[in-house]
Amino acid sequence: MAVAPVQDTIVESHKGVLWELQRNRKFTIGGAIFLAMLLTALIAGMMIDPDLRKSGSFPQRLPPGEGTLFGTTSLGQSVAIQLTEAIPNSVQVGLIAAAVGTILGALIGFVSGYFGGKVDAVLRILIDVFLSVPSLLFLILIAALVRGVGVMAMALIIGAFAWPSPARQVRAQVLSLKERGFVQVARLSGMNGMEIILIELMPHMFQWLGANFVNAFIAAVLAESGLSILGLGPSREMTLGMMIYWALNYSAIFQNLWWWWLAPVITLMALFLSLYLVHIGFDEVSNPRLRTEG
Amino acid sequence: MNPYIRYVGERLILLLATIFISMTVVFFVPRMVPGEPMNAIFANMAAVGGSMNAQEMIVEYRVRFGLDRPVWVQYVSFWRELAQGNLGISISNFPSEVSGMLLSALPWTIGLLTVTTVVSWVAGSVIGAVIGWRGRKAGWARLMVPVALVLYTTPYYILALILVFVFAFHWPIFPLSGAYSVGMRPGLNTAFIVDVLRHAVLPALSILLVSLGWWFLSMRSLIISLKGEDYILNAEAMGIKERRILWGYAFRNALLPQTTGLAISLGHIVGGALITEVIFAYPGIGYRIYNAIKSLDYPLIQGGVLLIIISVALANFLIDAAYPLIDPRIRFEGSGGS
Repeated sequence: MAVAPVQDTIVESHKGVLWELQRNRKFTIGGAIFLAMLLTALIAGMMIDPDLRKSGSFPQRLPPGEGTLFGTTSLGQSVAIQLTEAIPNSVQVGLIAAAVGTILGALIGFVSGYFGGKVDAVLRILIDVFLSVPSLLFLILIAALVRGVGVMAMALIIGAFAWPSPARQVRAQVLSLKERGFVQVARLSGMNGMEIILIELMPHMFQWLGANFVNAFIAAVLAESGLSILGLGPSREMTLGMMIYWALNYSAIFQNLWWWWLAPVITLMALFLSLYLVHIGFDEVSNPRLRTEG
Repeated sequence: MNPYIRYVGERLILLLATIFISMTVVFFVPRMVPGEPMNAIFANMAAVGGSMNAQEMIVEYRVRFGLDRPVWVQYVSFWRELAQGNLGISISNFPSEVSGMLLSALPWTIGLLTVTTVVSWVAGSVIGAVIGWRGRKAGWARLMVPVALVLYTTPYYILALILVFVFAFHWPIFPLSGAYSVGMRPGLNTAFIVDVLRHAVLPALSILLVSLGWWFLSMRSLIISLKGEDYILNAEAMGIKERRILWGYAFRNALLPQTTGLAISLGHIVGGALITEVIFAYPGIGYRIYNAIKSLDYPLIQGGVLLIIISVALANFLIDAAYPLIDPRIRFEGSGGS
């Protein structure tokens, strides 16, 4: 069986998940960095005069410090102002796609694991297939057809291919949980399949879903930036991937406009790192065996 | 039945299912997207194909996609063309065959990916095992952990940007882009091989460093969690040499999940590497797809996607088929499980 060897720890720690999370250093540091970046961008974005977002609002190719915080682009846009738009947009893609993917995945995983039999056999093959195929390729195919989509549509497309990994994990968890005593008792006391899933099983899955959600979040931001660099991003809006795309498009590297491409690059790295720390935090809380040295 | 054959048979079924399901998705995607994108593509073809062949091309495509026929007829002929290795005709390079254009790009992608994946997997696993085993005794080498964490969370193409800037632009040690110098004639001579290797260093490094970070971290945590297992403690109590316990007992067992991890993440590695090619203008499949996107060449995009899906599925199958070599349970008992 492909069941992760962690089931024993789920039940006992479930009363204090939040308490344990806020005690976990990786979770709090990662979460703090993430929130700080997002809030700074949101608040600064609200305070900025919308007219300054237009191209040509600033002199072209200014290095950082001379009038603008992070310099300007070849089109006379302020890199800092672009960031205030790009960070919330990229985060939005991540959140929506991760929500869609996790909910879809949890549903498929629950159904597959709980009902078993032929349903499970078919769903398992589907999960395995979509897990092994690079989903970026399907995204390329779709995005190449529906060019010029907005941030929202982009998020939904990415989310539609983000279900296999949560589905696989939820299925494994359900398989191990459904033979437990309390589920058997619930079944004998006349609860039906859906009730058992919602009332008895769901509460045990929250931290798993949490870790999965963060994982899907990272993957979605990654997919967005990848698609954007390929030229399939939301071309009328600004995301971190689109910032890199425009910088590459105007050969910012070869013109030595390092601030233009470095700003989104560093932001993306900080975003991924902070989210990954949150992910590890979740993992450690739901699986105490991982809490090792360092 | 021989357990190994049964095991490989199961994997073979998964391989066929993967190819079947993904090809079906690839077939239905352009037909399900709202707004009749194929019409837009035909309209674009007329514009892009320019003067001479536009009309001829549109006729060719109407026939090839058979959009006037029922969907299931289209579906059957899609498979028939595919089985003959026919991926259609490029729009941007009319009338070149898509398959030919992709085949000339494939060796660059496969070469880059195979070398970087194998090297990073082996090196990451070995270093991860040593540092995980030593634990607090590893001294300065423990700094590898935060470094690997930063590397692993960085996408290949982001690292690629930084590498290009530092080692090709700021200090021009390596070439900026391409797979070999312009004007160099490909051939089996030292000058050409050295040139190819010099061009491959930065793309390879950006994939290598990132994946090395991941294999290092996962092997390290596997070894740490194995250290407390009874059979390791028992081996220690029996006085078996530490070196033998590490490589013969702990590492051997950690290789199993590490190999499964390789099979699972292959898709991610390939996806990221395709975009890395774009940064370096490295003439593999990823760069072909990028150019196809720019020139609205949907058949070429579709062909590239198909080719990569099949290659990844095949590579996955090969890894799975080799799995029993390191897991004797499958070889002897066939208890590989579900």
